[in-house]
Amino acid sequence: MAEKRKSMIKIKPKKYKVGDIVKVDFIVIHPMDTGMAKDKKTGKIIPAHYINDITFSFDGKPFTKMKIWESVSQNPYFSVNMKVTGKGKITVDYTDNLGEKNSKSKKVKPKKA
Amino acid sequence: MERRNFIKNIMAVSAVAVTVPNSLLAEETEKAKVSKAPAVKGPNDMPLADAIKAITDGKEVKESDKIKLTVPEIAENGAVVPVKVEVESPMTEEDYVKSIHILNTKNSNSRCADIMLTPANGKAYFSTRVKLAETQEIVTIVELSDGTFMKAGKSIKVTIGGCG
Repeated sequence: MAEKRKSMIKIKPKKYKVGDIVKVDFIVIHPMDTGMAKDKKTGKIIPAHYINDITFSFDGKPFTKMKIWESVSQNPYFSVNMKVTGKGKITVDYTDNLGEKNSKSKKVKPKKA
Repeated sequence: MERRNFIKNIMAVSAVAVTVPNSLLAEETEKAKVSKAPAVKGPNDMPLADAIKAITDGKEVKESDKIKLTVPEIAENGAVVPVKVEVESPMTEEDYVKSIHILNTKNSNSRCADIMLTPANGKAYFSTRVKLAETQEIVTIVELSDGTFMKAGKSIKVTIGGCG
């Protein structure tokens, strides 16, 4: 599906082999509104709008799931590790409390040992 | 004179972030119930004690030094406070960290994030940035594949609250 939000998956380090444990960073542009803040201009409460569910998969198999609450910062950053098992694709599927679904992918290309 | 006292006070509270012992966590749980609550009630509001009970189902949770919780001692901006959790674990099918829960003591919703890991992660590690309304503690509850729970906590002084 076409992603409606800007996001980025980063794998660190850039060069890795099968068997290495890499860091997988995911950052996405999202207001993460708590539903408790007031719009400074109108004085009205800004409704809660935050990412609530994230699944990290490798070649379609989920390896990390997250349940996220509105206390996470705006334009959230999430980082986990992944053991490199071979060439493939990391996919991050995420939804927010208003039902918006998005997906981002990045290829995993290990160097020859 | 006032400025000198102000600087003295800042120096005094610039203490090293301490790992919070059990008794202090219990006291903080009580304090959390009477902390500065915002005017609007959120649908996810939940005090720390209830959140911990929901996660552990009342099971025993022990302090553990296998958990390395990294947070700043002082957060200049409460809207973006980095939190990192690392847990010593072989992360094999027989013995791995099943979940890492990040909680706080004074936001109206004490839950920040619940991360479910698998051996495919290789290491038990999670990092994110959270909003803290005021000076409080970050608490992490870790669940292992054998069904046991561990915890760690650290205080963060927040100079400018981050909840809007």
